[in-house]
Amino acid sequence: MGVLTHGISASGAMDRSAHAIAGRLAGAAGEAGIELTRAGMDFTVERGGMRLGWAGGAFTVRVNGTVLDWPGGTVVKAGDVVSVTPGPSGNYGYVRFGPELDVPQVMGSQSTSTRARLGGLSGRALTTGDVLEFSYPEGTPEAVVPAGRADGPVRFIWGIHAELFAPRVRQAFVAARFRVTPMMDRMGVRLADEDKVFAGSSILSLVSDPILPGDIQILGDGTPIVLMRDHQPTGGYPRIATVISADFDRFAQLRSGDPVAFVPVSVDHAHQVLRSGHP
Amino acid sequence: MSELWDGRLPRPVIMPLGDGALLVRFGDRLDDSANRAALLLFARLQEDPIHGVLEVVPSLVSVLLRYDFEAISPTRLGGEIALRIGQGALADRPKLQVVHIRFDGPDLSDVATELGLSIPEFILEHNARPLRVLTTGFAPGFIYCGFHPTRLIVPRRTSVRANVPAGSVLFAAGQTAIAATEIPTGWHVIGSTPFRNFLPENDPPTLVHAGDEIRFEEVR
Repeated sequence: MGVLTHGISASGAMDRSAHAIAGRLAGAAGEAGIELTRAGMDFTVERGGMRLGWAGGAFTVRVNGTVLDWPGGTVVKAGDVVSVTPGPSGNYGYVRFGPELDVPQVMGSQSTSTRARLGGLSGRALTTGDVLEFSYPEGTPEAVVPAGRADGPVRFIWGIHAELFAPRVRQAFVAARFRVTPMMDRMGVRLADEDKVFAGSSILSLVSDPILPGDIQILGDGTPIVLMRDHQPTGGYPRIATVISADFDRFAQLRSGDPVAFVPVSVDHAHQVLRSGHP
Repeated sequence: MSELWDGRLPRPVIMPLGDGALLVRFGDRLDDSANRAALLLFARLQEDPIHGVLEVVPSLVSVLLRYDFEAISPTRLGGEIALRIGQGALADRPKLQVVHIRFDGPDLSDVATELGLSIPEFILEHNARPLRVLTTGFAPGFIYCGFHPTRLIVPRRTSVRANVPAGSVLFAAGQTAIAATEIPTGWHVIGSTPFRNFLPENDPPTLVHAGDEIRFEEVR
């Protein structure tokens, strides 16, 4: 069961499908892994050995200096040095391990919530010098051919406050092109409203309702913000739309400066897309 | 809850929140009847869970239900919710939690002055009656309680404090709130409490839930 009622958002991988693919490539025995940002990461295998898998974004991975395919996987042994550096696109990459990563289950999850300072290593991001421990045995790796991701507009379902926006604002929202700004993190991604869809929108004071990832809130100054996995649990700004689950991972990988357009779909359609498994 | 609630809920609006949740909203304003209706539906959903529902989150005037779309369709879920709204009132009495409060907050005298009360008068008025937990959330273990009578209503502060410590007791907009973790806030800080409504190693990690009652007792 969930934890929103305790005041904690669900957290977890920003790009869940990439996290899952990395896990299958690693033959991961557990659910935990490491999420990398464009800061990249280097690590050394101190002892033992294991299978690794990686996916998400377009990063470059080197094992002892040799570039390997991304996404992909390999077996590493004591003394090997693995280095992951950012590539031409995407924000989040995942490294998963064959054995299970020893991090505590907190409230039914092995995720780290840096916002609530829970889970993982004292609820914080990994830093130089951290040592990770594992529980063997390993699982069985699978060959994975990642499905190509849909291009084009990000699909959404009209939001819980859509009716509060004038019909011409709703039309403009669908017709407009927005741009991802550098103000993005695990809580939310601010968009530049270059077509001024929400300029002059009156500030609405609403009773707070629960928030879910993908909700698009319009702040008091007219800035649209897409709420991400570590969103605040409740919010009182109007929400015009919610990104569908099938397009959320793709949205999370958009970089600052990337254009984004939105197109409405029905809840039924969103479910059909999920069932088809081809986002 | 039973003695104050006649079992007839305001007609809610049930709407999708994305492709994995429905929001049931009992009003557009924060008032007593909308809050009670949301709490009552939450209690009924806990008593009589719906297959396929992953999480139920009560809020001030609404209840969110996250569902597994492969286990239940939103249409069917809407019907199940409507059934539970139509049932009679709950007989349960609210759980009472006593919270010890030290009135030592930096905004205490400002608040009393704004209300035209001396500090002892304000403390007496503040603690005069138990408050209902309207909702939880915003931050881990955060508690909103209300409602104070209109004569005790002050607006929020115009500026936000970057951080107040865990255990801060906050006051604004007819409510008293209790922070279980360090948080930023625009509410007035009137005091502090040793009570912590968030212990992540416990299951559940919070003690106080929406619908419970809180009685504040002054400690010096």
